[in-house]
Amino acid sequence: MRRRLLLLGTVVVAVLAVVAVLATGLGRDPAATASPLVGRAAPDFTLGGINGPAVTLSKLRGQVVVMNFWASWCTECHEEQDALDQTWQRYRDSGLVLLGVDFEDTSDGAKDYMHQSGLTYPVVEDKDSKTALAYGIRGIPETFLIDRSGRIVDRIIGRVDADRLAGAVEPLLKGGTE
Amino acid sequence: MRGRWSAAGLVVVLAAIAAAATLGLVAVRGHQQPASRSQQVQQIASGLHCPICKDLSVADSPAPLAQQMRQQIDEQLAAGRTPDEIRAGFVAAYGDSVLMSPPRHGIGSTAYYLPLIVVLGGALVVVLLLRRWRRPSGVDAAEPNGRAPLTSAQRQALRRAVERLREEEA
Repeated sequence: MRRRLLLLGTVVVAVLAVVAVLATGLGRDPAATASPLVGRAAPDFTLGGINGPAVTLSKLRGQVVVMNFWASWCTECHEEQDALDQTWQRYRDSGLVLLGVDFEDTSDGAKDYMHQSGLTYPVVEDKDSKTALAYGIRGIPETFLIDRSGRIVDRIIGRVDADRLAGAVEPLLKGGTE
Repeated sequence: MRGRWSAAGLVVVLAAIAAAATLGLVAVRGHQQPASRSQQVQQIASGLHCPICKDLSVADSPAPLAQQMRQQIDEQLAAGRTPDEIRAGFVAAYGDSVLMSPPRHGIGSTAYYLPLIVVLGGALVVVLLLRRWRRPSGVDAAEPNGRAPLTSAQRQALRRAVERLREEEA
């Protein structure tokens, strides 16, 4: 009788363990997991500008960088446009660089959208998606916050709002991390 | 009936041994080495999740980002990087979830060890059942001659008969 109970207990524990492992793994959205890049040095790049000169990230060291991956065909990117512009206008004189990175888009499409929307911050073109791959992009919009030392301190998946951005950017501009 | 169960148990054990041997052989031999660089690209790409797709590998996805990943793999192979280094580069940017197979560390390791534990557990259960089935049913271990043990009523009757014999002899 005791042996039967032991066997039954073992089977129940084994089944529960399998269910727990599957539930943990299947319930997790890979896109929502923290980027392994957070806390590390931001991968460097030099990309040609669409509305200005080429930009090399390492040359922006000493400034806080908000880097936003977007495309002209991305509806959600259009919806966050105002928040990004507001942030840029509000903090550009305090040491903030807002950089748009155009992802999987045509130059003409990007230029048309920028002209129509009145986008004012610098935008570069990631023609071969190498920068997107280096930053582990899973979809757009995605926004990275980089501190003055060139370290990624946060990744925001999806649309940003002005208040959240302000809350994240202000401590970085004061010299600390988020 | 007992013989049929024993034969079935033997078949299960042999099947388990054959499965374990096959898995062991595959593990030892590993995958077939690709002949050309494009095959090597295909092999590495088939082990990576397309980051913007649902359940498609980089090798199978027609998405532009997957195409860029295949091109990047090709460029890195041409530059002399090993497949492991290339995979590590994607893991550094995307995390372990970019791999089609779970990593061999952390919680992902359960995918490799759990089947082995289940197979060993199953083999143990089969062995225990075989031992039980092979034991002659209804025969007490203390009855090596194979005869059925006496019931308590028979024992009492026997005891009474022996006592009567002793009284008659006395």
